[in-house]
Amino acid sequence: MAEAAAEGKEDRNTEASPAPAGPPGTLRDRYLVRSNQPLPELSMPNSEAFACEDKRDPGRRLYALICAPTMPPRVNVMRALKGVNIVGLQQMVEWGPMTWPPLGRQCMTVIYERPAGGRLMQNFKEPFPRIDEYVISKKLIEPMIAVMKDFGARGVTHRAIRPTNFFYMDEGAERLALGDCVSTPPAYDQALVFETIESGMCHPMARGSGTYSDDLYSLGVTVIFALLGRNPVASMDDETMLRTKIQDGSYSMLVRDERLPLPLIEVLRGLLLDDADQRWDLDALDMWVQGRRLSPLQQKQEKRAARGFPFQGREYFNCRELAAAMAKNWDLAVPPVLEGKLELWLRRAIEDKERAQAVADVVRMAVTATADKKAVTDVTLAKVLMMLDPAAPIRYKGFGSMPDGLGGALATAMAQKSDTRMVTEIIMREVPKLWFESQGERSLDYSSMESNYKEMRSYLTQSGMGFGIERCLYEMNDSLPCQSSLLGEEYVVELKDLLPALSSVGTKQGNAKRWPVDRHVAAFMGARARSDIDRNLTNIADQDPGQALMALFNLLAVFQYRLGPESLPGLAAWMGALAQPVIASYHSREKRKELEKEIPKLVRKGSIVEMYSLLDDPNSREKDSQEFAWAQAQYQAAEDEIKRVLTDEEDREKEADRIGKQTAAVTGILIGMVTVTIVVVLTVW
Amino acid sequence: MARKPTASAVAQARAAAAAKKKPGGGLGVNKVVVLTLMAALVPFSLPTVVVLGVTMLPTAAAYFTERGSNRYAWLCVGGLNFSGVIPFLFGLWFGVHTVDEALRLLSDASVLLWAYGTSAIGWAIYKGMPPMVENWLKYSSERRVSSLKAAQHKLVEEWGDDVAKKHQKHGD
Repeated sequence: MAEAAAEGKEDRNTEASPAPAGPPGTLRDRYLVRSNQPLPELSMPNSEAFACEDKRDPGRRLYALICAPTMPPRVNVMRALKGVNIVGLQQMVEWGPMTWPPLGRQCMTVIYERPAGGRLMQNFKEPFPRIDEYVISKKLIEPMIAVMKDFGARGVTHRAIRPTNFFYMDEGAERLALGDCVSTPPAYDQALVFETIESGMCHPMARGSGTYSDDLYSLGVTVIFALLGRNPVASMDDETMLRTKIQDGSYSMLVRDERLPLPLIEVLRGLLLDDADQRWDLDALDMWVQGRRLSPLQQKQEKRAARGFPFQGREYFNCRELAAAMAKNWDLAVPPVLEGKLELWLRRAIEDKERAQAVADVVRMAVTATADKKAVTDVTLAKVLMMLDPAAPIRYKGFGSMPDGLGGALATAMAQKSDTRMVTEIIMREVPKLWFESQGERSLDYSSMESNYKEMRSYLTQSGMGFGIERCLYEMNDSLPCQSSLLGEEYVVELKDLLPALSSVGTKQGNAKRWPVDRHVAAFMGARARSDIDRNLTNIADQDPGQALMALFNLLAVFQYRLGPESLPGLAAWMGALAQPVIASYHSREKRKELEKEIPKLVRKGSIVEMYSLLDDPNSREKDSQEFAWAQAQYQAAEDEIKRVLTDEEDREKEADRIGKQTAAVTGILIGMVTVTIVVVLTVW
Repeated sequence: MARKPTASAVAQARAAAAAKKKPGGGLGVNKVVVLTLMAALVPFSLPTVVVLGVTMLPTAAAYFTERGSNRYAWLCVGGLNFSGVIPFLFGLWFGVHTVDEALRLLSDASVLLWAYGTSAIGWAIYKGMPPMVENWLKYSSERRVSSLKAAQHKLVEEWGDDVAKKHQKHGD
C-alpha cells in the first residue's frame, strides 16, 4: 500500500543518508539551497529537505523542501500560504521552481522556517513523549483551530495533518507547528489511519483536496496519538483497518480498550464520527475549547443484515462493507450481482425493497444491453456499488477516487509515466456522472464538477494537438506545471511564463526543426488561456503545413501581445527558422525574397506579433493570390497556343501548298503583264 | 427552336452535292462561250492562233494535267509562257501577219526555245513556291513557340513551378 510506502519513506528520511555532492541551488537569487547538506530529519515522504540560507539575512533559520519531479505539487495552496505567520503552522517563506543541480533540472522548491526542535513523532512504529491531557488543548488543539480558521479563510485545506508532520519550533518543545502540505498531492502522504473511511477507500493519489471536515478527522486521530504517545493501531494492516473502521467506527477502532481522559472523549468522538454530516465542525470544536460541553455523540451504525452475504469466503452483514469488498475484487463481484443474488440479499436479508428494486432494474438493463458487454458490466457494477454505499468514492475496476481526485490521479500517473487508461475510461464512461446522480443532495459544487467532467469527455473524444488526455490533465489540475519535454528544465506553471521559457529553450538549442509546441504545450495553452482558443488549436493540426504554422504564429502572437514580454528573441528565432512553409505559401518569388529579408530583422527584435503581421498581411495575400491567378492564366494561354501551333503541322502543309501555288500564279501573271508592257513600250516607242 | 429539316430540303442538298461532285461532266457554259469566241476569231487572225496554238501548248498541258483543289499551274506557267511568246507575236502583228510568217516563226528553234523555256521557268516557280512558303510558315511558327516558351519561363521564374498548374477558379 502507498501509505505503508509513505511511512517507510518517512522512516528512512529520519536516518542519515549519504549527502549528494554538488553546487547549491538558488531560488529567486536570494535563497541558497545547499545540496551537500541534506536534512533527513525534516524530509517528507516524497520530498527531501536541505539546509537553506537567506542571503539577505544569513542568521535566519530556514530549510528547503525539494519536491519530487514526479509529483504534482499544490501550487494553488503555495500561493495561498506564502508568508502566512500563525503560531501553529510552519511559516512558508518562499516557493518557486529552482534549478536543482543534483537532478540537473528545475524542481519545485518550498522554503520553510526551520524548527529548533524535532518532530512530534519520528515514525509510526516507535513511541514518543506523550502530550499531557491538561496541555493538549493549549499545545495542539487551539493552535490547530487557528490554523484551520486561517485555511478556511484562504479557501484551502491542509490534508497532511499527522503526528509525524508536527514540529517543535522551539528548543523547549513548547510550540508545535504543522508542517508541509504542498509538496505532494493532497493527502498523498497520509497513512490510512489519518484518513476518513471514504478517503481511505481511494487510491492515495486520487483523494482530492477534500474538505475541512477531513482535516478535523485527521486532527482527531492525531490527538489520540499525542495523548497515547504511540500508534494504537501500529500492528494493523490497511485492509483490516478499513474493514474495522467500517464495522466498528473509527473511534472504536482507535480507542478500543485505551483509557482516554473523560473531557477529551467528547471532542474525539465528535471529530472521529464517520458520517461527515454529523462530524464536528470548526465552530463545535471552538465551542468545546471555550468550555461549552456537548453530550457525546454516538456513531450511527448501518443496518445489519439478518444473514450474511457470502463473498470471497467471508460473510458480509452490511452494504458498505460488502461494497468495499466487491470494489476490491472487481471481476469476482460481477457474477453474484448479475445473477440476482445481491438483489435477493437486499430484499430478504437487509429488507430494503426499494434498493433491491433499483439494483434489479440496473442489472436487467445490463443483461439486455447489446453494446460492449464488458463495458456495460463494469459500469453496472460501479452503479450498484454506488447504490450500496452512496457516500463512498467513485469506484471502478478496483480504483477508488474522490470526485475531485481524478485530476490529481491523472497528474501523478502521467508524471510517473504510468497507465492513464483507468482515468480515461472513468471519464469516457461517465462514471462521475453516475456518482453525482447517486448523491441525495445536489450541491453547486457537484453540478459544476459534473459539467466539467462532461467537458473533459468532449476533450478526450478529440485527438488533435491541444486536446485529448493532456488537455484533461491541465484542465483538471489548474496549478500543474507544463509537463512538456520541450521545456527541458524550465518549470512553467502560468501561461505568462510559457513564452519566455520557450524563448529560453530556443536560444539554447538554436534553430530546431521541431515546433515549439507539442501536445503538452498546446494543451497547457488551451487550459490556461482565459479566452477560448480551441479553434486556433484545431487549426494547428491543419494538413497544410503553411496554414498550420500560421495558426501557431497567430496563437503565439496573441499570447505575446496579451501577456508579453515584448522581446522573445529565442522563440522568434525558432519560429523564424520554421517560417519557410509560410513564406512558401506566397506565390510571388519577389514577395518571398522580401519576406526572407524582413524576418531576420524581426527575429532580432524578438517580436512574434510583428512577424505574424508581416506574414499574414491580408492585402499582400489577396494581391499575391490575384496576380498568381493572372500569371497562371497567362501560362495556360501560352501553353494552349504552343499546343495549337505544334498540332497544326498537317494544316500548315496544306496552307503552304495553297499559298505557294497562289503566289506562283500571281507571280506568273505579273511577269507576263510586265513583259507585255515592256514589249508594247519598246514596239510603240 | 431549330426546325427539323424537311425531306425535300435534304433531297435538294443531296442533289446539289451530287451535281458538285460530278467531275468532267462536260465543259462548263463559260468555257463553251470562251471557246466559241476563240473559234470566231480564227478566220480573222489565223496566224496568231497558229503561233499561240503551238507556243502555248505547255500552258494547255498545265491546265489539263493538274489535279486537286488548288489548280493554279496554268496561270503561273501561262504567265511565263506568254511572256516568252509575246515579243514574237508583236513581230507578227506589226510585221507580216500571214500564215506563212507564222509557220516560219514556228520553224525557228529560238522562238520555241523561248516559249517553252519560259514555261519551264513557270513550272519551276510553281513547283518551288509551296516548299518555300511552307518553310517560311514553319520558321514563323517556331519563332512563335520559342517566344511563348520564353514568356512561360519568365512566369515560372517569377512565380515558381506552381504557375504551370491549371488555375482553379473559386467555387470549382
